[in-house]
Amino acid sequence: MAHRIAKRILGITLAPVLALCLLAGALPTGSGAVLTARAAEEIAGHSYLTENSAYRLYLNEEDLSVVVEDKATGAYLESSISYDDGQNNNIWLGAMRSAVVLTLINKNDDTLQADLVNDDVTRKVTKSDTGFTAELYWNKYKLGFTLEVSFDEDGLSARIAEDSIREDSEQYFIGTIRLYPYMGCSYLTDKEGYMLVPDGNGALIYLDDKEGRYPSGFSGTIFGTDIGFEESKVETLLWDKYNTISDAEIVLAPVFGIAHTDDRIAFLGIVEEGAERASIEVVPNGASVDYNRAYARFVLRRLYTQPTSNNSTAGSLHIYEADRSHSDLGVRFVFLSGDDADYVGMAGAYRNYLLQSGSLVRKEDTYRTRVDFLGSDRQSWVLGTQGVVMTTVDDIYEIFADLEARGVTQTISLYKGWQDGGLYNLPITKYKAESKLGGTGDLTKLMKSLEGTGREFYLYNNALLINPDETNATFNVIKQVNKRRYEYKTYRDVYETFYFLTPSRSKLLLERFVKSYTSKGVSNLALAGITNKLFTYTYSSDKYTRYDCAKLYNEAIEELSTQTNLVLEQPISPYWDDTNVFLDMPLYTSSYILEDESIPFLSIVLKGVLPMYAEYVNFEANEKEFFLKMIESGAYPSFYVTKEDSSELIYTNSNDIYSSRYDSYKERIAEYDAIFRELSERTKGAVITEHVIDGDLRKVSYSNGVTIYLNYSASPASCDGVDIEGMSYVVK
Amino acid sequence: MKMAALKQGRWKKRILGGALALSVAACVLGDSASLTTKADAPYKSYTVDGYGSVTETQTAYLPYKTLTKVGDEALLSPTDFCLLKDGSMYILDSGNARVVVSDLEGNLISTFGEGTLVTPRGIFVTEDHITYVADRDAKSIFVFDAQGNLTQTYGRPDVPMYGETQDFLPLKIVVNSSGTMYIVCESNTNGIVEISPVDGGTFLGYFGTNATNASIWTIIWRALLTDAQRAKMRSNIPSTPDNMAIDDKGIIYTVTRGEGKDVLKRLNIAGVNMIEPDTTDTTPAAVAVGNHDNCFVVSQQGFIYEYNNEGDLLFVFGGKDDGQSRIGLASKAEAIRVGTDDKLYILDSDKSQIQIYEPTEFTNYLHDALYLFSKGRYTESKTPLAKVLEMNNLFDYANMAMGKALYKEEDYEGALKYARLAKDLDSYSDAFWEIRNEWLKKHLTAMVLLLIGLLILKRVIKVLDRKKHILDGPRAALHRFGEIKLIREIRYMFYFMRHPIDGCYGIKREGRVSVASANVLLAVGIVFYVINRYFCGFLFKTVREGRFDVASDVGLVLIALLLVVGCNYLMCTINDGEGKLKDIYCSFVYSFGPYLVILPFVFLLSHIVTYNEEFFVSFGTLFMFVWVAVLIVISVREINNYTVGETVKIILLTLFTILIVCLLAFILYVLWAQVLDFLQSFVREVVYRIGS
Repeated sequence: MAHRIAKRILGITLAPVLALCLLAGALPTGSGAVLTARAAEEIAGHSYLTENSAYRLYLNEEDLSVVVEDKATGAYLESSISYDDGQNNNIWLGAMRSAVVLTLINKNDDTLQADLVNDDVTRKVTKSDTGFTAELYWNKYKLGFTLEVSFDEDGLSARIAEDSIREDSEQYFIGTIRLYPYMGCSYLTDKEGYMLVPDGNGALIYLDDKEGRYPSGFSGTIFGTDIGFEESKVETLLWDKYNTISDAEIVLAPVFGIAHTDDRIAFLGIVEEGAERASIEVVPNGASVDYNRAYARFVLRRLYTQPTSNNSTAGSLHIYEADRSHSDLGVRFVFLSGDDADYVGMAGAYRNYLLQSGSLVRKEDTYRTRVDFLGSDRQSWVLGTQGVVMTTVDDIYEIFADLEARGVTQTISLYKGWQDGGLYNLPITKYKAESKLGGTGDLTKLMKSLEGTGREFYLYNNALLINPDETNATFNVIKQVNKRRYEYKTYRDVYETFYFLTPSRSKLLLERFVKSYTSKGVSNLALAGITNKLFTYTYSSDKYTRYDCAKLYNEAIEELSTQTNLVLEQPISPYWDDTNVFLDMPLYTSSYILEDESIPFLSIVLKGVLPMYAEYVNFEANEKEFFLKMIESGAYPSFYVTKEDSSELIYTNSNDIYSSRYDSYKERIAEYDAIFRELSERTKGAVITEHVIDGDLRKVSYSNGVTIYLNYSASPASCDGVDIEGMSYVVK
Repeated sequence: MKMAALKQGRWKKRILGGALALSVAACVLGDSASLTTKADAPYKSYTVDGYGSVTETQTAYLPYKTLTKVGDEALLSPTDFCLLKDGSMYILDSGNARVVVSDLEGNLISTFGEGTLVTPRGIFVTEDHITYVADRDAKSIFVFDAQGNLTQTYGRPDVPMYGETQDFLPLKIVVNSSGTMYIVCESNTNGIVEISPVDGGTFLGYFGTNATNASIWTIIWRALLTDAQRAKMRSNIPSTPDNMAIDDKGIIYTVTRGEGKDVLKRLNIAGVNMIEPDTTDTTPAAVAVGNHDNCFVVSQQGFIYEYNNEGDLLFVFGGKDDGQSRIGLASKAEAIRVGTDDKLYILDSDKSQIQIYEPTEFTNYLHDALYLFSKGRYTESKTPLAKVLEMNNLFDYANMAMGKALYKEEDYEGALKYARLAKDLDSYSDAFWEIRNEWLKKHLTAMVLLLIGLLILKRVIKVLDRKKHILDGPRAALHRFGEIKLIREIRYMFYFMRHPIDGCYGIKREGRVSVASANVLLAVGIVFYVINRYFCGFLFKTVREGRFDVASDVGLVLIALLLVVGCNYLMCTINDGEGKLKDIYCSFVYSFGPYLVILPFVFLLSHIVTYNEEFFVSFGTLFMFVWVAVLIVISVREINNYTVGETVKIILLTLFTILIVCLLAFILYVLWAQVLDFLQSFVREVVYRIGS
């Protein structure tokens, strides 16, 4: 039974008395485990509309909010609040009840809210067997669109077609749109469970009482922040110079979810359309209002600052985008119940969704240790720069021979800095290797000789950056929405600034490169840079949105995947079907305070389908913990090695590579190879079906019956009768 | 099942407080007392390289846990806390004017001080649980026994030495093993107040007073002002330390807001500073002593600095929460303590929480090395050092320590390599001395033999030449080459160096030199300058390794030349000087003859001398520049036919003109930039308005 306890008001001694009063006064109408063979007439003001094999859908025509009921248990999720704690004003209540909530831009204000409760909205609702459509028009603001809601075996889909969006006003424009923002919401601690946060690999926020500790929730722009807009942040820099705060992890997949574990019901939200310009918001109670909610927020238009002088303080205009971005917008809610109503179930549902829609393809899961090489970089010299050779083609033969002798026969390698001029001579326009490494001929020979062996060898190409110190970068580089050229600062000595190529230029250069590359009979390509960046940009006075950017990148990557054996560096979800392996899978989160638990969500989605490689072991300060993390999430280890000592790199832009000498790593590579090879043999092709967190212990079960127990604490522990040493793992 | 197990696990940790427990047992109660998350750090860790510039390194400390409550007791703007070796934690809950005692997990043990404390700001607890609280508005130090009973109160010292008008507003306190209290007081600039417990509090004096920061300019400035003006100036009083810490030996660490060497001090019992940090923060909040002869400083912005016992910065990490609310970032750090297990505890008064950080494996290795090294166990320290370097072979401190350890082991080649990586000049010099010494020992005989051989050879050639004239051919060729006009003009430099007065006459009247020859010399000079600048011996290098900026070097030389020659010419023409521009230019360039002649030797020397023989290089350089200066003065006089007085006047005038020209250029630049900026803004706004 759920109790309604407004804990904040309660004095400790009054607690039992008040609890009783509230129990009597404010119980919900029926989220108990009552088996409902028949549809209820109405749930919390929502009347029966339709059903699929497992769930029933109820609709409130006033605010178009819905309730989804589990036929088996009678548990339900509601998209509007059914209990009002009396502390919310009308604006908030509007947001909490409406199926769609808009923020409008009016001159310099982008906070005006429009919803279905507080505003005069002309609506035409057409119901059907599979849902309903609602033509909506806000009379005051002279704007509207058609909301289409369909309910089928795959859940509930809410969408707004691009061509239905109308903006007839000269004064009000749509800023953002939220669809069913309070789906699965709950008040304070009414429900047990958690919300899924797509931060890093994944995180949970429990549905406990946050006691108002967090002024705001998680907000993550899907597929990374938009560098096209200058973010005005108050940064406190170390010695007024160094930004010590790391960038937050990219939201790689457009998902969110809420699980009510006491009711054994959950949903997974997937942003199906318009994800390129949307953000995921996961907000726990205490942030403005005492309701837990998770939703996607579509951005159509934004305010930005247009500086009019070089001196940022001298003058600037606050303006909004003249044209909104154009795309269909859609969210799918997949409902889960019973044993599936948890984050493993959500991950499974997402995996199935991706596989069914073809956005994910099962890839060969042969275990390989990833051993990447750095060819060369450059350091300053009297006039210009001078190459610093780290690993030549001959060195690679040597290293491979040594690995062979150590029993490491199956590897995957990226060769970074192979190109003429070294790692940062970007963009790479043709297949020409640095002569100091052995030249194009030797490199081709190496790659040919590796074909058919257990070693996969990819040439690394960052297709996003252009180095203005080495190449003419006057044209084909992007400008921000305020028409200022975007400069990517490295804070390093040799090359201080890079620019971003326009997506069409990236595409063109990649095509050229691949042509000159495949003509030599080699076709392994590791692509980076464009694999997890989307931005709004202007180029020769035209403005392009993130949708345009995504389209061009998608075309480019799609095409490359047919011409080459392609691997992508930390790809965002639209490209997952185009890569053979997932490189640089994040194993952690961005460490937001409000996240209660970090979980291997993406790993559970991809394990058994797409091989994943973790970030380099080299730079981990806590190697043992990182090792366990990889085992827990089913990711494979990566090493970044050079023949020469990495202190050679001290005066190059690569001076962040502070440890990479092969001789220091060869034993560890062999050691890891043996461990992970054995482990992956046992879990080959299987997916993760269970993941349990118990303090410092983790239990990961696979679909083929294999279970891995991990212990993150320093002292031994036991779980399910299995003894696990401190900082170690056991496979059963 | 999953969630059930999960819940059980979490509930095990949870302690539900009071009567509420019953009624909310079915709900999930927030684990608000402590939040543990295995997570990556949201901040970067930096260390400094040998040049003091910042480089990134492995994460040094990871956020481990956040204590937001003690039991069910919420904290309100806590300002200080104390950590004992037995694991008890005394938190000064200033907003509630009390002391909260807890264990390291955040479980409440007791509270005391309610009703007694007014505005407590600092706390110190001895290992036998005697609590000292510095209360600002009560103007007292309160002492509580282990049970929390008030046992003693110390007020303002009533002695003339304390200062007649001086108030007593205690902010922070530390107590040494004999019970002597060291108190930082608000608006008391005399230093730390030292009070002995004898006779209910005996004022012992002021301790660890900071020096005033009087720059040479201030001194000159003040000397020029009248008394009235001086009185109006902001008084130059020393800044009081803001916080302090004490170690087991009674050594006191202080931090002071500001810049320079006062920021972090390590004071022995006599108040003498024994540390010189290489990099500091301007707003330190607190300092703590570590377990490995190291110390930590936290700044108000939440940057955490770790230093070794000599003040070398090992790590700086953390930072201010920019609204993203990520674990491990601070809003307003107030106090720092180190646990026996090396965990760091940072008190954040704004967030009313204590953030705990745990050292990573990398940091643990470093601490091992640090400890062994500071105890002089160099050979033992090599193992953890090697491990540190394997994980990060650009870690400066480890390179430095490795260099020293290898030096002690007489592996000089190794020591040289690491010292150079760490830019540890003294160790480099010592190692180089040893290597050179060995080389000399090994090759001395050979060298003497070679020298003798060369002398004999010379003698033989001389004899042969006298008898058979074998050198006539080369000599004639050399002579012919020397007689080429340009070469002859260049050779004139040597004559000019030795006979500047005649030399000037030659330039002025006899046309012994040309602009072309002066240009050649200038070019050679610039080449020498650049080579010496970037390729001289490591010990004498004035630019950073790996940094090249030849264009601006050359530009600077040319601009300086242009300014000096141009201004000098301008001054001479209006002061009846006889010199033509060409003469002034040529004589000026020729005056740099000694530079061209001596620099190569200095350059070579710089590669073979160590700091022991530094004199040779510095003397050579000084000698060279004095010679150049003398030549310049003489040529100004001779070329223009001035008297000594006129020469001095012209030189001063030239310097003044240069100043004026620079000033003018600066003003023009600023004005021009303004105009440009205005035009740009104007055009941009027009474009924008038309465009939209």
